[in-house]
Amino acid sequence: MKYIFTFLIFFSSVFAHPHTFIEVYPTVEVQKSKFSSIHFKWVLDEMTSTILIMELDSNANGKIDKKENDYIEKEYFSMFKPYNYYTYVKVDKKVIKFKPKNFKATIENHKLCYSFDINGEFDIKNTIFEFGDSDFYVAMVLKDEFVTIKGASVKVSGIDNDFYYGYKLEFE
Amino acid sequence: MEFYAKFLQTLVQWQYQLNSFISTNIRSLNYENNLNTSLIILGVAFVYGLVHAIGPGHGKALVALYFTSNKSDYKKAFKMGYMIAIIHAFSALIFTFGIFFILKTMFRKNFNEFSEIAMQISAVMIIGVGIYLIYEAYSGRKHKEKHFKKSSKSELAVAFSAGIVPCPGVMTIVLFCVVLGQYTLGALSAIAMSIGMGLTISVAGILSIALGRKTNGLLNEKAYILEMIGGLLVLSLGIILFVI
Repeated sequence: MKYIFTFLIFFSSVFAHPHTFIEVYPTVEVQKSKFSSIHFKWVLDEMTSTILIMELDSNANGKIDKKENDYIEKEYFSMFKPYNYYTYVKVDKKVIKFKPKNFKATIENHKLCYSFDINGEFDIKNTIFEFGDSDFYVAMVLKDEFVTIKGASVKVSGIDNDFYYGYKLEFE
Repeated sequence: MEFYAKFLQTLVQWQYQLNSFISTNIRSLNYENNLNTSLIILGVAFVYGLVHAIGPGHGKALVALYFTSNKSDYKKAFKMGYMIAIIHAFSALIFTFGIFFILKTMFRKNFNEFSEIAMQISAVMIIGVGIYLIYEAYSGRKHKEKHFKKSSKSELAVAFSAGIVPCPGVMTIVLFCVVLGQYTLGALSAIAMSIGMGLTISVAGILSIALGRKTNGLLNEKAYILEMIGGLLVLSLGIILFVI
């Protein structure tokens, strides 16, 4: 028993726990069982947002201007690429690589928001969107009320990834 | 893993709500300074620290391994938890204020770099503690009493190894307060959160002592073997942390 306990904490110590929380707001349109548009909006927690806004809203006008937006996309948002933007689009259980488009950063109610689109030329039937950070430094938060969908119905549920927790979207 | 997943989900949900509560209330202080709100924030920061440290990390593994391999009492585990918490709080405060006031901008990037350096220092210290524990177990295998006294010296080393890496959670609260001009509240929140974490870390130590007592009685004669295994595990933990 002692060794099981010891090994459990030994292994779990290698993994971080969440320090930043990101709410995910997906907006999805479906036509004839295929995705016609997929849009994600991330809302970062207020603490992380405040710290980032201090640096990223360089002229401190309370808005993200074009120049600031380009800088955030290049220097900050691109840092999520190796983590697949914490978003895994799975078609027939295979992860599909995507390139985010139309990146836009905004400030809303003291919170930093990132919005982007992805292309989806696939059938909704065997498609699942999963959200989560395998390093567990960031916790992605998804709730039923965060999802906007047209042309199909959707189910939000949690996923057990052994050492971190994530959410998934399934389409019907 | 069903249970572990539910456990993690609950921990994340709680932290998400506590984090949001703290930030909203600290910001409200900027509009209306209120002692009650400040006290509530400190209370919530304490709970946040407590819950935050239940999740993986924060030297619980090191503390548990240390107490698995060293005979000790609960008081010592409690003391150890708090030594780590104090070092944790101060390292977070020094890092945050230091980086913020010296560098001002580019905080985020520098923070990542500093955090990595601190992690490496901590890993080297943990490796040192592992080697020391193995040496202690080996050289003290025939001198039980002497060994017991000597091992208490390594407690500070363990506490330093576990506590020196500043917790990004604490740093975030401190920095958030600093940005909003609430310097005192920032420092006090870091301390409140660290006290909460200290309690959780102490419990990890106490649990490993309790579990150790059950099994150690049978193996008292060969206790040094267990101590050496503990030392080896601490050493491996250090190497893993150094490599990743």
